[in-house]
Amino acid sequence: MRMNGGRPLSLKARVMLFVATAIGLSLILIGYLIQNAVSNHFIEQDEEELHVITKAVEDALREANTDHSHFAKTLEQAVSGHHGVYYQVLNQQLDILYFTPPFNYQIDIQTRLPEISHEALESVTWELNGQHYRGLITPVKISGNHYYVVAAIEMDFHMHFLDQFQYTLWLIMAIAAVVILSAAWFGIHQGHLPLHKLTADIASIKADRLDTRIDVHGVPSELVTLVNSFNEMLSRLELSFKRLSNFSDDIAHEIRTPLTNLITQTQVGLNKVRSDVEYQELLYSNLEEQERLAKMVNEMLWLAKSDNGLIEIEPEQLDLRRQIQDLFDYFEVLADEKNIQLNLIGQPVLVNADKSMLRRVISNLLSNALRHSPLGKTIDVAVFSELGEVGFSIKNHGEPIPALHLSKIFDRFYRVDPSRQRQSDGVGLGLAIVKSIVEAHSGRVEVQSNTTETIFSIFFPDKNYL
Amino acid sequence: MRLLIVEDEVKTGDYLEQGLREAGFMVTLVRNGLDGHHLAMTEEFDLLLLDVMLPDVDGWRIVQSLREAKRQTPVLFLTARDSIEDRVKGLELGADDYLVKPFAFAELLARIRTLLRRGNAQVSNSEITIADLTLDLAKHKAVRGGKRINLTYKEFALLELLARRKGEVLPRSLIASQVWDMNFDSDTNVIDVAIRRLRAKMDDEFDVKLIHTVRGMGYKLDIEEA
Repeated sequence: MRMNGGRPLSLKARVMLFVATAIGLSLILIGYLIQNAVSNHFIEQDEEELHVITKAVEDALREANTDHSHFAKTLEQAVSGHHGVYYQVLNQQLDILYFTPPFNYQIDIQTRLPEISHEALESVTWELNGQHYRGLITPVKISGNHYYVVAAIEMDFHMHFLDQFQYTLWLIMAIAAVVILSAAWFGIHQGHLPLHKLTADIASIKADRLDTRIDVHGVPSELVTLVNSFNEMLSRLELSFKRLSNFSDDIAHEIRTPLTNLITQTQVGLNKVRSDVEYQELLYSNLEEQERLAKMVNEMLWLAKSDNGLIEIEPEQLDLRRQIQDLFDYFEVLADEKNIQLNLIGQPVLVNADKSMLRRVISNLLSNALRHSPLGKTIDVAVFSELGEVGFSIKNHGEPIPALHLSKIFDRFYRVDPSRQRQSDGVGLGLAIVKSIVEAHSGRVEVQSNTTETIFSIFFPDKNYL
Repeated sequence: MRLLIVEDEVKTGDYLEQGLREAGFMVTLVRNGLDGHHLAMTEEFDLLLLDVMLPDVDGWRIVQSLREAKRQTPVLFLTARDSIEDRVKGLELGADDYLVKPFAFAELLARIRTLLRRGNAQVSNSEITIADLTLDLAKHKAVRGGKRINLTYKEFALLELLARRKGEVLPRSLIASQVWDMNFDSDTNVIDVAIRRLRAKMDDEFDVKLIHTVRGMGYKLDIEEA
C-alpha cells in the first residue's frame, strides 16, 4: 500500500481501512438479513391469515353449494370479525359469483392459473387506488363444481411498518459503524502511544549519551524485539564510537611526539649560527622524524580504509609455505645478526589470498617475533591445514606477554610496555594491520603466551576444503 | 633530459624543481593546469610530472588530451589521494606511473629514471664491469680485483641491482621491492644489514669503496667517492 509520494500508507490508515471494510460489510449483511427475516415473517403471517379465511370461505361455499337459495348470505357470513379482509368466489369460467365489497374486480388470475392448478398456494400482491393487497387464490372442487376462492387482505399497514423498521435499522447500523470505527481509531491511537514514546526516547539519544539504553520492560511485547535490536545497535555504535575517539586520541598523541621533536630541534638548530655539518645533522634528524610521520599517516590511512571496507583484495592461490620461505630469505640477514635460527615446518598448503597483503602479514609477524626473541634462540614457524582452515603459527621464546595485554595486543598503537614507545620498531600499528588484513580475508588471528613461548597464529578459510 | 613539472603547491613545486635540477635534469616548472597543458602540447619533453589535483585543468585532463593528440611522452602522476579507482583511472588514461604523496625523493628519482630508460633498448649485457668489479650475470659470479667473491643468491641480486643502476641512489623501498619482492614499507632495517654484509664481502678490504650510503636517501654504487 503506497500513497502517491511513494511512502507506504500509515499504519493507522491501513488498520482503519481494513476495519472499516470488514465492519461495513458485516453491518450491511446483518441489516439485510434482519430486514429479510422481518418481511418474511409478515408474509408468513399474512399467508396464514389468508389460509384461515380461505378455509372459512371454502366451508361456507360447501354449505352454500347444497343450499343455493342462501348462497350469498352464507358466504357473507363466512368470515366475521376481521378488519381489512376481502374475498370473492369465482366459477370455473372466472365469473365472480360472490364478492365482499369493494373486491368486485378481477385480479389477473388467468396468468397465474398454471401455478394454481398445481395447488401451489403462493400469495400474490397488487395495488389498487393506492392500497396494497396480498391475496391467495385457491381452486376448490365441490361435488363436481370447480370454484376459485380468492382471499385478500390489506397490507399497507405492514408495508408502512417495514419502511419505518428499515429506516430505524439502517440508522442503528450507521451509528454502530461510526461507534465501532471511532473505537478502532482510538484503539489504534492508544496502541501507537508506546511507539511515540519510543520515538521520543530514541530522539533524545545524542552522540555523547550512547550509553543510554531503552528500557525493554517499559514497552509492549510486540516492541521488545525492536527495542532489543535498537539497544544492540547502540552497543555496537558505542563501541565503534569509543574506539574511534580513542584512536583519535592516540593519533594526536603519536603525532605530537615527533612534531615536538621536529620543532624543538629545528628551533634549537636555528638558535645560533652553526657549521654545515651541524646543519646537515639537523636535517637528517628531521628527516627521520618526518619519515616516521609519513609512515604513520600511511598506515593509519590504510587502517581507516580497511575499517570502511575499502581495501580491495586481489586473491590468488598461493603456496603459504613458499611465501613464508620467501620472507625468511628477506629476514635471514636480520636473524643472523641476532644469531636467531628461523625454522619452518609443515607441508605446503594452498591459501587464497592477496599476495602483497599476505606477505605483509608474514613480514609484520616475523619482524615482531625477531624484535622480541632473545639472542641465540629459535623462531619456529609451522604451516598447518586443519578443519577447513589453513594458516601458520609463529613461535618465539621472548618475554611472556601478560594475559591482560593479550586481548589488546592487536589494537592500534597498543604497546605492552609503554616505555618502548619510541624505539625504532615502527609506529605500533604492525599487529593492527595484520589483524585488519586477515579479517579482510575472512580469517582470524590468535595469540597465546606463557613463560617459555609466545605464539601468534593466523587462520584463513580453506577454499579447497569440502 | 627535459622534464615538465605541473604542480600548484608552491613549496612542493620549488623543491621538486631544485631537486631534479640538481639531479641533472633540465626542468620546467609551471603552477597551473592550463600552462601545463599548453606546454605539454606544444613543446617536447622527455617526461611529464603531473599533480592530479590542480585548480583549473586537472592532471587527468592533461594526460587525456595528450594521448588523444598521440603524444607519447611518459607521464608520472603525483597525488595525495591513494585509492585504487584513482590509480586505475590514471593508468587507464595513459599515465605511466603513479606516486602517492608523501613520497621519498629518492623514490621519485628512481621512478623517473626507470620511465626514461623504458623507451630505450634494455642493455642486456651478460657482464657488468665497474672499476675492478666484474659481475658475470649468467653464472652469478662476482670477481673483484681478480678475486672471486662468494655471495649468496640474494646478495648477488642486490649487487646486480646496484651495478645495473650505477650512479643512481636507490631508496630502501626500491631495493626491497626489486630484490625481495617486498612491495610495502617494512619496519625493519633488513636492507641496511644486507648492505653491510655485502660491503664486508666486496668493499671492506679494498681501498676504493664502490657502495656508498647517501644519508636519508638510500644507497648507490659508483666509482667516485660519495
